[in-house]
Amino acid sequence: MIHKGLILAIEGLTKSYPTGFWRKPVRVLSDLSFEVRENEIVGFLGPNGAGKTTTIKILNRLAFPDAGKVTLFGGQDQGGADVRRRIGFMPEQPYFYEYLTGGEFLRLCGQLCGMSCADTESRSSELLARVGLSGSRDTAIRKYSKGMMQRLGLAQALLHDPELVILDEPMSGLDPMGRMEVRGIIRDLKAAGKTVFFSSHILSDVEALCDRVIMLHKGRKVAEGRVEELIGAETLYIELVVSPVLTHDRLAAAGIPPDAGYAQGALLVLRAPDNGQANRWIAGLLREGCTILSCVPMKKNLEEIFMERVGSSGATGAAS
Amino acid sequence: MFRRIFSIAANTFRETIRNKILYAILAFALFVIGMTFFLADLSVGDFARIIADVGLASIHIFGVIMAVFLGINLVSNEVDRKTIYILLSKPVRRFEFIFGKTFGLSVTLLLTTLAMATVLFLVHFSYRYGGRAEVGIFIASAGIYMELVLLTCLASLFSTFTTPVLSAIFTLSLFFVGHLTNYLYVLGEQSKGTAVRWGSRFLFYLLPNLENFNWKNEVAYGGLKSFSILGWAAGYLVAYAACVLCLSCLLFARKDFK
Ligand SMILES: Nc1ncnc2c1ncn2[C@@H]1O[C@H](COP(=O)(O)OP(=O)(O)OP(=O)(O)O)[C@@H](O)[C@H]1O
Ligand SMILES: [Mg+2]
Repeated sequence: MIHKGLILAIEGLTKSYPTGFWRKPVRVLSDLSFEVRENEIVGFLGPNGAGKTTTIKILNRLAFPDAGKVTLFGGQDQGGADVRRRIGFMPEQPYFYEYLTGGEFLRLCGQLCGMSCADTESRSSELLARVGLSGSRDTAIRKYSKGMMQRLGLAQALLHDPELVILDEPMSGLDPMGRMEVRGIIRDLKAAGKTVFFSSHILSDVEALCDRVIMLHKGRKVAEGRVEELIGAETLYIELVVSPVLTHDRLAAAGIPPDAGYAQGALLVLRAPDNGQANRWIAGLLREGCTILSCVPMKKNLEEIFMERVGSSGATGAAS
Repeated sequence: MFRRIFSIAANTFRETIRNKILYAILAFALFVIGMTFFLADLSVGDFARIIADVGLASIHIFGVIMAVFLGINLVSNEVDRKTIYILLSKPVRRFEFIFGKTFGLSVTLLLTTLAMATVLFLVHFSYRYGGRAEVGIFIASAGIYMELVLLTCLASLFSTFTTPVLSAIFTLSLFFVGHLTNYLYVLGEQSKGTAVRWGSRFLFYLLPNLENFNWKNEVAYGGLKSFSILGWAAGYLVAYAACVLCLSCLLFARKDFK
């Protein structure tokens, strides 16, 4: 990989929240360190309560760490207007002034980011169209649905054309179309040379989008790396889908053990341990007059890696 | 910086004038001020004076209700609803947020006080017996307005660290105490103990002296003629409000949001 500029570096981040007057504070983040490089898409994973939102809040100076350091764009005044202008942020379950309309809200955001009126107008029209809210520009935010809020949250994060985009669960609460659109937006950001850091519970999206993932559990980093590296190259098994469903006798005649698969409606799903077996099974199945519908080598996916790393140490919640 | 404070102030202004409860309070206040017109008929004495008296008291009371009601929610609403997350992730410093919110509400209060004062002025002017154009009503209302701005700053100070209910209690307590600090001073000076004397002096200078803004009696008795008193009170307001706002900013600067 070409060595690219460091956009975000976190070193030894530690954070506790007070739980009450007498009791000991709870540790939410313990010595968390990671980096995000220019033009990367980095996924931030972890079960509920792992500390993802807390980390993201610290990045946006909405909370302050007990120890550790955050460096943005290679170390300037972290809270300074110049640094903030280069960052776009969407909080989890974003909420806006309900007495404003979507258009008015974006205008306010533009003003706060120091954009000119004309700029704000053209960017908001463009982004509202991109997130599918063009028709709701003049609707009061009070009347927005949950998914529409989420879409507006994305629009405001991108309004000032930031270099680093930080999104906290951008896909939650969206319909399948919306999720696809958000995936498209994130890909476009990368194509435009931006850097994206987002947390998510939807592992298939993370797997499809991210260059790298960071997994968090109970405030500690449990895995980090490129998606391909984490998933690994080895094939777990080969999945065959055939039709029709065969009886046990005919399966045995084709040389397949009866516990190698299961019926799913009118289809039979079989798991062959390796390529040689799969080939022999296919020959047998063809002899029995079956149709082979698909033959797919299955690799470990991110979900299994996640379960492995997180489940073993006693997860507080599973991925949804 | 000023542009951002201005944007936040304009947005706060928009927030408050789209608040239906504010209109309800204002409508009721205007109704009560209008009623003084008939109240004067029921009493004996200098009727026009009674109108000014009761009217200014109404402006004062309703103004305080509005300032406290809007002030205590000023910051806490944004924190509770998490709208502040988006604001502060933009290039907005926390002190800009506090100043903007306070300025925005001050403008709203300026308009409501002006509306109430104008109605009272018209009622007073159109009164049959001895009604006249009394400029003093506007001067006294300006005093009331300055007090409201100070209360707003105090309410937003409290709302940076406590719940709205507690902020309301604290602000109202300071409102009552603020009108009594002169007595506190006098009582303290009569005491024998030096510690008590110094303590009461300390409190006298620490607590807001809201009587500095009170020219209601002078107006009602027709004694207030000069505008120079306004300048002195405005100076006190700016100095005191600046201290309160700076304290709010300090408390707010490193607050973690839930
Ligand atoms: N303001 C707070 N006060 C006390 N504890 C808190 C506070 N905010 C978060 N926590 C605790 O910190 C831990 C991490 O919370 P955080 O919101 O960062 O989790 P998360 O990874 O974002 O989870 P989710 O997937 O549910 O969004 C939780 O155990 C939570 O109880
Ligand atoms: Mg979260």
